[in-house]
Amino acid sequence: MANATSILEQRKHLLAVAVVAGTVGLVLLRNFDPAKSAIFPPCPLHFLTGWYCSGCGSLRAMHQLLQGNLRAAWALNPLTMVLLPFIGYGLTSQALLVLRGKGLPGVFLSANSIRVLCAVIVLFGILRNLPVHPFNLLAPGAMLHW
Amino acid sequence: MFCPQCGASNPDNAAVCAQCGRNFQPAATPLPATGQVIPPGATVENYLVFAILATVLCCLPTGIAAIVYAAQVNGKLQAGDLAGAQEASRNAKMWCWISFGLGLATVGVTILLGILGVISGLHHG
Repeated sequence: MANATSILEQRKHLLAVAVVAGTVGLVLLRNFDPAKSAIFPPCPLHFLTGWYCSGCGSLRAMHQLLQGNLRAAWALNPLTMVLLPFIGYGLTSQALLVLRGKGLPGVFLSANSIRVLCAVIVLFGILRNLPVHPFNLLAPGAMLHW
Repeated sequence: MFCPQCGASNPDNAAVCAQCGRNFQPAATPLPATGQVIPPGATVENYLVFAILATVLCCLPTGIAAIVYAAQVNGKLQAGDLAGAQEASRNAKMWCWISFGLGLATVGVTILLGILGVISGLHHG
């Protein structure tokens, strides 16, 4: 039982670290535009290959969202904007699971829904690299110049 | 039957609750693979949120591996294979940490390149 308690304590510490790190990250992200400032890392895939991945533009998108520019946020990475509420719900559930031992309802997805989600993420990553209209609009920021 | 945890209606032969993932397997069922006993309320964590975050923020193929294992966790839970689900859960967790580590390494390399850039700028400027 002592072992189980220490695991729970460990998880609480991890949660505290994650909350502090997440808050610092969001404050930095709100005040510095990753498009102009060097404090945020570039996407390793884009840096090495020149291809966009599914997540390319998500930091810039979150900066725009925190600044209240919904349209720019959407144009930089529509997939991240769609997933963000679900990620927020999932993270809240994880935090509650650590704090009160019970998460939020409805977080359990069937294996097939997760596979569909995975396929959507991969497909989005491939489509936004195609130099053909309308897929080229999915490249980070392309919709702003449309 | 109704889930004792969240009250959702489930088929009588369901291994886990489709709503909250609560395990319906009877208690004290020894698992052949690990020999562990799973309490009836136990769920197996699939780390899906972290896998998606790792994929979108660290944008690495390792995040996709974590999502695939997350799907496997829930698939095995649905099939009643708790040992298999725990195995997949360990893999999902491992790939999340690998993605997170690689993301942090990228931050480190970026900062290092930035510093080197500043230094060489000072020399040539």
